[in-house]
Amino acid sequence: MILGLLILAPILFSFVVFMTHLVTRNILVILFVIFLSVISVFNLISLSSVVEIALPHYFHNIFVFLDSVVLIFFLWQGIVKKHALVIALALVQIILYCEVLFLVPTLESSDILVDNIASIMYLIINIVGGIIIIYALKYVESENFSQIKKNGFIAILFLFLGVMNFIVSSNNIEIFFMLFELTTLFSYVLIAYRGNAISVENSLRALWMNQIGGVAILLALILSISHYDTLYFDILIHNRDNLFLLPIVFLILAAFVKAASIPFNKWLIGAMVAPTPVSAILHSATMVKIAPFLMLKLAPAMSGFVSISVTLIGTFVFFTASLLALNKDCFKEILGLSTIALLALMMALAAVGSEQAINATVVLIVFHAISKALLFLQAGILEKNFHLKYVDDIDGLINHSPLTVFFIIIGFASLTLPPFGAFIAKFMAIESIAQEILKNPLYIFALIFITLGSVFLTLLYFKVVTKLFAKNVDFQQEHTKLSNYYVIPSFLLLFLLIIGIYVTFKMELLSSIQIITPVILIAVVPFLFATLLFKKAHRVKEYNCGEKEEIKLGMYYFNVSPNYKKAISIVAIFGMLVLIVGVML
Amino acid sequence: MFNFKKYRKKSPWILHYNAGSCNGCDIEILAALSPKYDLERFGVINTGNPKQSDIFLVTGPVTFRSRERLVELYTQMPEPKVVIALGSCTCTGGVFRDMYNVEDGIDRYIPVDVYIPGCAASPELIIDGIVKALDILEQKTKKMEKPLKLFQDASTKDGIINKRDCALKVGEKDEEN
Amino acid sequence: MIEILLIILAPIIGGFIYGAERIVRARMQNRLGPPLLQPFYDMYKLMDKQAFIINSYHTILGIMHFVTLWVVVAFVIVGQNLLYIIFLHLLSSIFLILAGFSVKSIYSHIGANRELIAMIAYEPILIMLAVAFFMLNGSFEISAIRENSSALFSIPLLFLAFLLIVPIKLKKSPFDAIQAHQEIIGGVEVEFSGIFFEFLYMAKLLEYVFIYALVMLFAGDSFILALTLFLAVFFLVNLLDNSTARIRIDHLIKIVLVIGLTLATLNIIGLSYV
Ligand code: SF4
Repeated sequence: MILGLLILAPILFSFVVFMTHLVTRNILVILFVIFLSVISVFNLISLSSVVEIALPHYFHNIFVFLDSVVLIFFLWQGIVKKHALVIALALVQIILYCEVLFLVPTLESSDILVDNIASIMYLIINIVGGIIIIYALKYVESENFSQIKKNGFIAILFLFLGVMNFIVSSNNIEIFFMLFELTTLFSYVLIAYRGNAISVENSLRALWMNQIGGVAILLALILSISHYDTLYFDILIHNRDNLFLLPIVFLILAAFVKAASIPFNKWLIGAMVAPTPVSAILHSATMVKIAPFLMLKLAPAMSGFVSISVTLIGTFVFFTASLLALNKDCFKEILGLSTIALLALMMALAAVGSEQAINATVVLIVFHAISKALLFLQAGILEKNFHLKYVDDIDGLINHSPLTVFFIIIGFASLTLPPFGAFIAKFMAIESIAQEILKNPLYIFALIFITLGSVFLTLLYFKVVTKLFAKNVDFQQEHTKLSNYYVIPSFLLLFLLIIGIYVTFKMELLSSIQIITPVILIAVVPFLFATLLFKKAHRVKEYNCGEKEEIKLGMYYFNVSPNYKKAISIVAIFGMLVLIVGVML
Repeated sequence: MFNFKKYRKKSPWILHYNAGSCNGCDIEILAALSPKYDLERFGVINTGNPKQSDIFLVTGPVTFRSRERLVELYTQMPEPKVVIALGSCTCTGGVFRDMYNVEDGIDRYIPVDVYIPGCAASPELIIDGIVKALDILEQKTKKMEKPLKLFQDASTKDGIINKRDCALKVGEKDEEN
Repeated sequence: MIEILLIILAPIIGGFIYGAERIVRARMQNRLGPPLLQPFYDMYKLMDKQAFIINSYHTILGIMHFVTLWVVVAFVIVGQNLLYIIFLHLLSSIFLILAGFSVKSIYSHIGANRELIAMIAYEPILIMLAVAFFMLNGSFEISAIRENSSALFSIPLLFLAFLLIVPIKLKKSPFDAIQAHQEIIGGVEVEFSGIFFEFLYMAKLLEYVFIYALVMLFAGDSFILALTLFLAVFFLVNLLDNSTARIRIDHLIKIVLVIGLTLATLNIIGLSYV
């Protein structure tokens, strides 16, 4: 019942959005988001055991129909846009899909399976996604689209929520494939939404790269049917024999594509030309979370060779992506690369497979979604209110809009520092990897990659803060007023972060003093900002050797030469090849 | 309660500024800081940062170019502070007196507490002067001292202590005369 | 009880270490040097100065740096989780770095940036150190490390790697490009003055306590070894400080990362085979 609501209601509502006018639309959307959030919370609370539902057969016909439509749409787009790769991959997909349709597996299981992880994913999708949609209401107004296109934008976002809710509850690889393709489709449409040349180009790139993921899933599907005689995740995972893990490896490959891990990283960076709510909801907070989610699903099936190689690849990508992010200067691209890095870390942790590592993955998924959403909202505000895209231009933003700077700093801090969840995840990651080293010394490379990568990320985040935070001497200044549609979602996300800390506190992932101390330390700072004004102290100018010149602060970048980038991609591809070949042998 | 005043003497931190000197006295300062004379035994540190120093050690006769910086540095030093004019040219203009591009001594701009004559002043004299300055430092209050020529607009513009503009004004008038 | 006393007295202990250090350094240069209590004289004097600030954010973040560092030292003394302490220490550094960024001052920015970059060098080695202790003791808790026998002989290479980062944290040459007193006038601390500078001054003293407490961890339960290690490292660091020239920040990172990380990795691989 609840599941039906979660999946169908957003899809139906998207049509409503399409029809209504501005004011009613905004009110309806806000009410509906609240409704969705309440349902997803209710679902988590009421979920006592794993829910399994088998869909009636005619559903499958609908799915097959949808799938064919999507694949043919891809082919058509390839032909219209004259993109050979898209055409070729679409054809391959169609052929493989036809083959899948001819194979009839016998082992049956339920199509829908909702466990704890899925209900946590519901929370992220509906609450974080919903908040971003509220933000998008205002954002889309300032784009120069026609009114229908604006409504369509919101409608697609809602459709997407429905699809996401479905994908995390699906247990059937065939349905999973269909939904995977649907998310690819949304991502394709939304990246190209602005319609200019660069967005079309980037959307096509996103399309063909994601199609590789689709092909991988189809291969996994065929292999799984022919070898295990099933197309269900749970049977596949529990019946696995250690000699034939190829279907699982192909699914992992699809996850790597969706998470834009290093050889495929271009599409997610390119996707940053899309309107900011799209980047927030699709390319950072929710859609790409399919990848670690899939990994979590497959985690029990991974062992030995697969586990260690996925961990090594994942941590390697984590390290290199954060290194690459250091030479980017566009705020959104920096966020995009750090998303890639953290997604790779999540997948690596899921592959480690110990209980602690799994917990770390879940915590990281949740907190990463919240923090990244918060940061992307600020990126949108920077873009719309201050017309800033590059970190180099953000000079002394704190003088104009302390609130935005506060959110940006909190967003960055919540990805690295105690007591926020991402820190806890990192902490548990290091702990679990330290335990693995005792069993297999190869994990030490994972450890090195994680430590270096996380330090690079910290460097990256606070490097960006450099220019925002440079405050003038005098402190009474006119601040830019931000729209409520911008500020309230940010506050809601901040609130979610605080709730998240409370939950980790309740779950006792760390001892209570370890969480309370940094909470107090961090919480006291804004409080002091507000109360301590140092009225008595004299104000002086900055020390400037007595010189008079206005200071222009610069920003530094780490140069990563193209050769390095190539080498990194080659290493990553090599790692994946080793994974596939190793499993085949 | 606790009398902090007597500790001022024990940790004087120095800001050294060269207001157009010939570098003779600067080298003597370095000599005084070096192991042979060892100024650090009095707790002296050469901070190079006006915001953390107590003693303003100026060399040079104040060229036109350097006077704004001189005043700026002086105002950035928190009270209590003492100013030492090191070398003959800093005290009176010395060999540069009446030249077209110098003011005659820093006391035209900022109040000086200790004059150390000598061209160049020897390290012994420098140490002697600093020790003298420490006695004066102990007597000082935290009240703001006015730089001599800058009485018109002593401290504030938008609440920030900023006197350099005044220095410029006075200086310009001088050039006209 | 003694722990609480130690925590409260931590800045004072640091003060004595710093005072002793200034004397030792002076003697190495064949001069007399300031009295042992010099750091305290400095502190008293700073309390008495007029208060100058740039903006309140800057000042408050500086104070938070000190407070957080004190908490870190307290956790070390109580015997908390080592890995956690390293991350909390990161938090305190971030406060300092944010303080450096919060004013429009070039020196402060350069200092904060260097502080940030130097983090690349020391943070991985500290984490490796924690992992090595975990592999030896089966727990990250410092109290457990203190109960077991000395780890020095099972992780000698890591000790060397740790020695490499001690000068970075204590701002000693050759690795003092972060503060570089003659060039960037102390970096982050340049804009602090008077009583507000005192917080940074005390934070520096706490940093001494923190680093030397980590040095003593290598001694495990043996007090004599701890004292020897402390004295040896103290002497060595000052000798190095007096006999080497400053190196550039990028060289610093290369040297420390390449040598330190290699040593640490070798040692951990060795540990996992034993
Ligand atoms: S006093 Fe003499 S030696 Fe000293 S700076 Fe002036 S001219 Fe040079």
